[in-house]
Amino acid sequence: MTINVLPLRLAILLAVAGTALPARAIPAFARKYGTSCLTCHTAYPKLTPFGEAFRRNGYRFPGVDSDYVKQEQVALGQEANKKTFPKTVWPAALPISVPIAIGANGQAFAYPDKNASVPRASNGTQLALDDLVAEGHLWTGAALDDTITVWGELTLSPDGVDVEHAQLLFNDLLGPKHALNLVVGKGFPTLTSFGPHSSYLADLAMPNAPVTAIYSGSADPFVLVDNYTGLEVNGVVAGRGDWSLGFNTGKNSVGTVFPNESFYGHLGWKIGGMRLDGEGSQGPANAMEPWAETALTIDVFGYRASEHFGIPGAAPGATVAVRDGSSTLGAAVRAQAGSGEVDLGYYAQWHDHGTNDLAKVRAGVAYAEATYVVYPWFIPGIRVEDLMLSPNGGSTVSDLHLMPGAAFLVRPNVKIVLVANVEIGNGYPQDATGAPLGWQGGAADWGSFVLAPTDTATPTTKRSELESIAVFLAWAL
Amino acid sequence: MVNTSLASRLAVLALGLSAAAGPALAAGGTISGKVEATPPKYLEDTVVYLKNVPGTFPKRTEKMDQKGMKFLPHVLTVTKGDTVDFLNHDNVAHNVYSPDNEGYNLGTFKQNETRSHVFEKEGTYTQLCSIHPEMLGYVFVGQNPYASPVDAKGHYAIKNVPPGTYQLEVWNAKLKAPAKSVTVAAGQTVTENLTLKR
Repeated sequence: MTINVLPLRLAILLAVAGTALPARAIPAFARKYGTSCLTCHTAYPKLTPFGEAFRRNGYRFPGVDSDYVKQEQVALGQEANKKTFPKTVWPAALPISVPIAIGANGQAFAYPDKNASVPRASNGTQLALDDLVAEGHLWTGAALDDTITVWGELTLSPDGVDVEHAQLLFNDLLGPKHALNLVVGKGFPTLTSFGPHSSYLADLAMPNAPVTAIYSGSADPFVLVDNYTGLEVNGVVAGRGDWSLGFNTGKNSVGTVFPNESFYGHLGWKIGGMRLDGEGSQGPANAMEPWAETALTIDVFGYRASEHFGIPGAAPGATVAVRDGSSTLGAAVRAQAGSGEVDLGYYAQWHDHGTNDLAKVRAGVAYAEATYVVYPWFIPGIRVEDLMLSPNGGSTVSDLHLMPGAAFLVRPNVKIVLVANVEIGNGYPQDATGAPLGWQGGAADWGSFVLAPTDTATPTTKRSELESIAVFLAWAL
Repeated sequence: MVNTSLASRLAVLALGLSAAAGPALAAGGTISGKVEATPPKYLEDTVVYLKNVPGTFPKRTEKMDQKGMKFLPHVLTVTKGDTVDFLNHDNVAHNVYSPDNEGYNLGTFKQNETRSHVFEKEGTYTQLCSIHPEMLGYVFVGQNPYASPVDAKGHYAIKNVPPGTYQLEVWNAKLKAPAKSVTVAAGQTVTENLTLKR
């Protein structure tokens, strides 16, 4: 079988270069509370148990958040104005300076194997520094009062400017504190009890499976962890239970806007360690190791999504679209024993029009990450991701991704991650003609599923490669 | 003999003056100390005072200015029945109102204008300006004049306290501290440190 691999190479390049990196550390909070990044982070954006509680609480300290604010505030009304409401505007406060943080990140690649997928697509390059500064970021995080907070992120890249996050968080709406919150705006859906970046070795804790991009060339495929505009209610119950329910726009990569709302939800429970809301904490058992605790957290989640994309093969610019609906069920477990941590997760995703010929396809995504905080600035570990695709009437194929590596915190706000990327493919997805397609997806630009078929590959070809050794660099001020 | 007689007369005169002035000018003692607050940023919203001191106290008129878009002093302590003159030394119009207790609104007044309010109830009155919602002050109205605001370093001093045993209490807009029993002797200073927290 003769295969034109040029489109594959281009697709892989686009997949590697075009995926925006989501939110990271937010030094605006360090300025607000007059505290170090290390109060909430280990190697950022990975959060300590306290940092996770801060995030879950809507970016608020346990207790009364304003008690901890050291940055001078401009009162937009005094608290006593609440007594005269509705004759007066409900009071709020602004930080004395604009709560903005800046940062940049990117990655460099060494390709020990000249025949690996990416260098093949990059004309045999063995060292690529092009993306060492891939993105610039502007973050904002602030509290208008003790219940309403704001979170935002603007990302600048060669692709343009993207509002990745812009959320208003209405916290403590009803019932016990932290039990019911409302998040309005654009951001990640809450699918587990931990932040979406809760990984030392990847950008996202949960790998994405861009099924419609793999099969149908969707330019903006639905994936679980992405920035969506919508509403989410969430909360922490009794300090141990975490929940969320969300409603957001799905994906629409054609010019005409189609109704494409999606729904999701999750339930989680934590046993041991700090409460999920951080309330009443007596502090870490070892003050020198604020990241350490002994705890087990179990999450389950579900997602019903819809996506509209151009019918494969339709003329460019055509507004004719197909709707792919997908249902996802998954679970995640975090087990932590002192400085050691293991994260495990799996989700199955059923698409009703996911393939090139608009057939059903099931995706299964498994991931695991084992790490140990040797020093607060040195966290080695290994990460494993596996993507399985099972199209209706076709053969099941899978791609295993191994990422041994380590995160180094050069300074509390400067991070380097060194990761080797090995891929082991058991076959390739196929297009409508039966030709093999490249793999896409994963949890990091510097370690995504990129295994591409060789010129002589078939859909059942097994292949493995040392794809790259990546250095990810990030800083934030 | 003459000297003795003169001294006696002066002593009698002094006692008479003291009695006429009431407990406030009696040969009293001082209660002073330092207040620690967690978080410390709320320290300046604090009054240390004595609860239920017997006696009657002359009515006074105190002043709270509005200057540089701030209430000055930030915390004013008065006694029930006292009058507070609210001044405006800014060249912008101000308003003074309070939603606390009986509540009042002194309307809008321009530069160099003064408006007054008589505080007939004990308690703390938040002072707000509806034109400039960021402005904040407090008028603490006590049963007696033995009260002291706390300065930026946490120091306070209640002077001329009639000898006796009293309950020392603390008011803070957000924080609390347990009351203390304190005994004051004439001419002496008692040190009482206090700790405020949620």
